[in-house]
Amino acid sequence: MSNQTDVRFEALKAAPLDSWVALSEDESKVVAVGSSYEEAVRNSENAGVSDPVLVKTPKAWMPISV
Amino acid sequence: MSLKVPYKKYPTPYAACGFYYSASIPVSIALPAKNSPRSKRFDAIIDSGASSCIFHASIGRAVGLDIEKGEPTQTLGIAGPMQIYLHDISLHVPGGIIVTRAGFSDGLPLAGLLGMAGFFENFRIVFDPTALRCELERIYKA
Repeated sequence: MSNQTDVRFEALKAAPLDSWVALSEDESKVVAVGSSYEEAVRNSENAGVSDPVLVKTPKAWMPISV
Repeated sequence: MSLKVPYKKYPTPYAACGFYYSASIPVSIALPAKNSPRSKRFDAIIDSGASSCIFHASIGRAVGLDIEKGEPTQTLGIAGPMQIYLHDISLHVPGGIIVTRAGFSDGLPLAGLLGMAGFFENFRIVFDPTALRCELERIYKA
């Protein structure tokens, strides 16, 4: 498992729950957050990152069974 | 030519190691009309249990969909039925663009699921637990 995966994991673990999180282009760090997709995109662009990867964090982290 | 995608770690306090692995890729969506603006890339789980692709409604609204004007239907998840609205979209994935009919819901607890219709039907997919990755090979149908 690559170090990049671990770096992404640590960034997600520290991110706020029940939010939209904008990760940097290489998914190594959180560059912005928002309560909605559009707010996170706007905050990401304000932070100078125009090509983020958005992740919706859950209310609590747990394995997914949708 | 296949794309090798390492599994990604997601936090969970319910595992001794503190994480679980999932196969996900960044994708974006757009209206099906040519040259429509795309959403930002977002994390979508590769999920063979999903009969079609389902995305959070807020991403659909951001690209111009009037979500509630889509075809209403229900999908059955492990937590019970969920109301979704179907729309035709362009799905931008590794290997190109797929035009598909996808579901949208405000109740989806994550950004997106890549399911059988629209995703699995267009790829040969190998989940490799020894290498902790999946391999995607696009299938181009005549």
